[in-house]
Amino acid sequence: MTAIGDAQAAASATAPAGKRALTPYWLIAPGVVWMVFFLVLPILMMVYVSFWTQTTFRIEPILTTKSWQTFFASDTYIGALWTTIRIWLVVLAATFLIGYPTALFVGLFVRNKTVATALLVLCVIPFWTSFLIRVLAWRPMLGKEGAINDLLMGLHLTAQPIDALLFTELSVVIGMTQIYCVFMVGPIAFMLGRIDPNIIEAAQDLGASFWRIFRTIIFPLSLPGVVVGAIFVSVMVLGEFATAAALSGRKVNLLGNIIVTQVGSLKWAFAAVAGVVLTLIMGLVVAGLLRLVDLRREL
Amino acid sequence: MRAPALKPVLAVYTGLFLLFLYGPLLVLGILSFQSGPEGGPQFPILHWSTYWYRDIFGLNPPSRIAPLPIQDGLLRSLALAFLTTVVSTTLGVMSAQAFRQRFRGSGIVFYLIVLGMMVPGVLVGLGTALLANNLGIDRHWWSTAFVLHVVYTFPFAFLVMLAIFNRFDPAVEEASWSLGVTPARTFRKVTFPLIFPGVLSAMLFCFTLSYDEFARTLFASGPDLTLPLAIYGTFSVEIHPNIFAFGVLTTLFSLALLGVYAVLMSLSVRRARRVLVQEEA
Repeated sequence: MTAIGDAQAAASATAPAGKRALTPYWLIAPGVVWMVFFLVLPILMMVYVSFWTQTTFRIEPILTTKSWQTFFASDTYIGALWTTIRIWLVVLAATFLIGYPTALFVGLFVRNKTVATALLVLCVIPFWTSFLIRVLAWRPMLGKEGAINDLLMGLHLTAQPIDALLFTELSVVIGMTQIYCVFMVGPIAFMLGRIDPNIIEAAQDLGASFWRIFRTIIFPLSLPGVVVGAIFVSVMVLGEFATAAALSGRKVNLLGNIIVTQVGSLKWAFAAVAGVVLTLIMGLVVAGLLRLVDLRREL
Repeated sequence: MRAPALKPVLAVYTGLFLLFLYGPLLVLGILSFQSGPEGGPQFPILHWSTYWYRDIFGLNPPSRIAPLPIQDGLLRSLALAFLTTVVSTTLGVMSAQAFRQRFRGSGIVFYLIVLGMMVPGVLVGLGTALLANNLGIDRHWWSTAFVLHVVYTFPFAFLVMLAIFNRFDPAVEEASWSLGVTPARTFRKVTFPLIFPGVLSAMLFCFTLSYDEFARTLFASGPDLTLPLAIYGTFSVEIHPNIFAFGVLTTLFSLALLGVYAVLMSLSVRRARRVLVQEEA
């Protein structure tokens, strides 16, 4: 840090003094103005509108907490809240459990950097297919006449096609896990790749078993990666609605789906309440995850 | 890592993991060759045909199946992604350049910018729609949706450029300044050519993210649909294999874009190496 500071001091010393001290502000101003007007202001507007009065087809700027009361008195909305939290927890656990062994292999066992990079690139390539089409691709996989049922019946593992695979909560969880698990694999593999192999070798020379090395060295050192991955996955899953709309046959309603349907029927104040609730949950989750490790020190 | 029993197990697992990632896309690719118009979006394949590919280009005789409403959406999405790429990359380079010096409030500004990629599209989309409605501004893909696309992609460009500037040797700029070259000319002639590979990466990020952006656009664009919105519209009605064929085509298009990026990248790396060799000679 001091080296950078010295270099910067040297840089500003060679440049025309006084004039350069202002330039960072001029350079950063357009970006900051853009973010304040088009990111901060809309979010504040959402919070503000959640206290407006909703009539049948329009909202009026008369402050009231009626929309909030309606939200927390409604079984539909509370149900959506719990569904959102349940699906978020399940998907988070699934992406971690499914992603970690892959990250372990890529980050720790593949010592050839080219191979490791190639494997990570392989994980990322599906992202060049449109998100919505990737979601839709699960329909012919999971359906009653889908690939998985065909395969299971072909192997005589089941006599009849399994109905529960598509248009259920399970299909939403499967779809989301596939789409988001790469965001878990990447950061964990990155942290595992930075572990000094000498530490593990020393532990092995001292006779520690793999399980013990994993528990006391590998896993703790990979924890910052897990936290970063968990933040990515959480933020994306909590803000989801398209996967639920496409794979649940409108049976699974997340808070995101509530917002979409409320906006569709011009119930802006209710949509805003759902939006604020979602923002609060997300803020709590991210703050909680950040308390697990000190990211600024670790990265 | 010496754990002889574990390595092959994990290798097999990683193979299965990749199958999990690619499986649905493979099935989608296979089903895009379903016969038409009677073949549905599921197995078995009645017989192999390119009917649904011809369907996308409007080459089939009219049938009961409506063509995908994608043509205008595709053009709009490309235009929107292009606009977004230009503005976001410019903002990203400027902001990252500002961060090369320490300035008051840089911590807050950093989080403000990164917030743009973290806040879910539903929330900013909803907020922007509310704001536009109450200010009496019409929502369009080229206005309200465009500004949100920049909010979303600008942080990616910023982070890429920040990483590039972290490994940038300021000595070359100092040499230029000390020879009396103006800062603006130094940036154009010295700094920019050196950071150009980073700029390319930032542009690739911005373009692909904007091109595929969906949640923000859903709320913030008006009656004219972009491509992802047009695809979303088909979700509610019965789906046909033409959407699968379209998925295959867009994937090929994206990979072609990735190929162009790789070529440009290797050209600029080679040029940088040649300059280096000349300097050493």
